[in-house]
Amino acid sequence: MRKEIYGVTTYKSTHHTIQAEGVFKSKGISFRTIPTPREITVSCGLSIIFSLDDIDKVKEMVDSNEIDIDGIYKYTKDGFNNRAEKLN
Amino acid sequence: MKIEVDARGQLCPKPVIMTKKELDNLPNGIVTTIVDNEVAKDNVSKLAISYGYGFTVDKGKNNEYYIHITKGEVVEEGPSVCIPDTFKDLTIAIGSDKMGVGEEKLGNILMKSFIYTVKETAPWPATMVFFNSGVYLTCEGSEILEDLKALESEGVEIISCGTCLDFYNIKEKLQAGEIGNMYTIYEKMRNANNTINLG
Repeated sequence: MRKEIYGVTTYKSTHHTIQAEGVFKSKGISFRTIPTPREITVSCGLSIIFSLDDIDKVKEMVDSNEIDIDGIYKYTKDGFNNRAEKLN
Repeated sequence: MKIEVDARGQLCPKPVIMTKKELDNLPNGIVTTIVDNEVAKDNVSKLAISYGYGFTVDKGKNNEYYIHITKGEVVEEGPSVCIPDTFKDLTIAIGSDKMGVGEEKLGNILMKSFIYTVKETAPWPATMVFFNSGVYLTCEGSEILEDLKALESEGVEIISCGTCLDFYNIKEKLQAGEIGNMYTIYEKMRNANNTINLG
């Protein structure tokens, strides 16, 4: 099984997710909007995943309040053994 | 004619799909599929049984299996065996580029999230049909093309309504799957045991 690792941001509401999508788009960071992985406690049902290469850019967006997140995680998809690790 | 299919390292259901493709193309002869695990060996063997072709299995030194399937040599009808759970007998019919009725922005994001979830959840539907504004999802500019192409490469049949592509004038922008007419769309909905309608 191929192992995939992503960065994941979760949000307090769907409105925040939609707003964040716009910011990701305007910065040209590639991302996917997905249902929040079950391994992460659900706050809002939709999360944004992105490449870990862009983690610094995303953290900057959080620090400058351009996006309002609930949490940021490193998410490892590994067959039936998916893991989420909170980053701070 | 002999054809070798090296399906080592391929995840289920790829070995079955790869073998099926060669068997379908081959007029007569032997297809040898190499796999590296027992589940794949069983699944490929079941495919041969479901076609009624004779087959033998050899085990290699590194625990790989060689399944030799002979097309043209029809054996007595064996016990009926289904092709493994590659696909569900399911058609998903999508009649809009949004999921549900309500705010457009929410509908868009829900649809993206739904298609992603379909892609992540095997067994996949056998067919997905797109009609009305749903055809925007299979065309250039759609944010879910990547998922639909991945599903297509796994063998999911993706059909977009030709009338709709024509109406919205995006026929030449189609990027995933094939064009179908109403007969095909109805046939896919009717022949599947289950149809999920979404729009």
